Amino acid sequence: MNAPFFKFGLFGDNVSLIMAFLIGIGFGFFLERAGFGSARKLTAQFYLTDLSVFKVMFSAIVTAMVGLFYLSWIGFVDLSLVYATPTFIVPQVIGGLLLGFGFVIGGYCPGTSAVAAATGRIDGMVYLAGIIAGLVAFGEAFPMVKDFYYATPMGQVTLPELLHLPYGLVVFLVVLMAIGGFAGATWVEKSMAVKKGTLRA
Amino acid sequence: MKSFLTNLTLNKKLGLLLFVLGFFALFAGSPYKGSGVTLDAKELAAIVQTETDHVSAEELAGWIIGGKSDYRLVDLRSEVEFAQYHIPGAENIQITSLPDYGLLRNEKIVLYSEGGIHSAQAWFLLKAKDFKGVYMLRGGLEDWKDLILFPRLPANASPDQRAAFEKTKEVSKFFGGTPQSGLSDEAPSVALAMPKLETPAPAAASAGAPVKKKKEGC
Repeated sequence: MNAPFFKFGLFGDNVSLIMAFLIGIGFGFFLERAGFGSARKLTAQFYLTDLSVFKVMFSAIVTAMVGLFYLSWIGFVDLSLVYATPTFIVPQVIGGLLLGFGFVIGGYCPGTSAVAAATGRIDGMVYLAGIIAGLVAFGEAFPMVKDFYYATPMGQVTLPELLHLPYGLVVFLVVLMAIGGFAGATWVEKSMAVKKGTLRA
Repeated sequence: MKSFLTNLTLNKKLGLLLFVLGFFALFAGSPYKGSGVTLDAKELAAIVQTETDHVSAEELAGWIIGGKSDYRLVDLRSEVEFAQYHIPGAENIQITSLPDYGLLRNEKIVLYSEGGIHSAQAWFLLKAKDFKGVYMLRGGLEDWKDLILFPRLPANASPDQRAAFEKTKEVSKFFGGTPQSGLSDEAPSVALAMPKLETPAPAAASAGAPVKKKKEGC
């Protein structure tokens, strides 16, 4: 048995939708358990008082990275079959900034707004309605933005290919970045708490 | 050493584990498989035996009508034959240029040729290059003609067969075919005209256009 299971035909389209549903439920459950159904917790990140979002997301990234690296190294996962979103650098940078603005203003990101709405938070429902309205608007306006949407294509590029570095070295560098990031985030949280007087140095 | 480890918080232990894994990744080499592929003869034989690598003409017709776009349809015949007629959405790739055509190993690829031999050979060629999702149109273009373009209802058909044929007729018309009902089992006296290439339009993928990949990721 080899992964990715869907690509190896272990199950078809219909079962893949059920899988997506189950994974989505699991994702939402753990977001809620991490406290990410609350806009207060999420926006605290931008005031540097609580960097849980950064820590959780970066943990997820390095766990997936190290996991995929070793699973494919032992031959369980065929890495060349794992889908990588194609890069369109300029539109994606601008799209990322837009999403960031929305995150700061609205207090949620798409996934967490669904979690908030599911637990009955009205701001979450409003946010989710906004997402759906935005999706419809984007879909309708797509012919107008199509050229920009597909501008500066780079293909399915990965960091090792882009930087011409060995794969293992990139893994190691990202691990160092993560550990440094965790230590730095904890330090920032502590010094912000001291500044606000909630914690004595 | 032991007390050093037990004194660490869980976060720091996990961080240490991460560091160790990251460090060994430095020396582990590339996780991608090299270009040398070892064929699993038993696995291949099992695929051939169970026919999981086949797509029937009816299935393919259903995909095209349904506007499915998560596969690439490859016509292995000559350019002349391709220009005369091809299944809507197909790309014409000569078997000699197949290995370097730039098909992706994670794509679902459906091969067809006039009969079934060329597509079976191309199937093996791609399998040897470690392509995963390679399929063949069962019976090739001949089956496509017999079952989709010019389906025939035998004269002594049962009511069940007649009912099923009504559906087949609709499918056939969609692709610009000419269903044959009420004829005897002998070959038709009039030569059947192949449909014009423009006729089978409305499904999502138009003829000749590159088939878009299924959306994945978030």
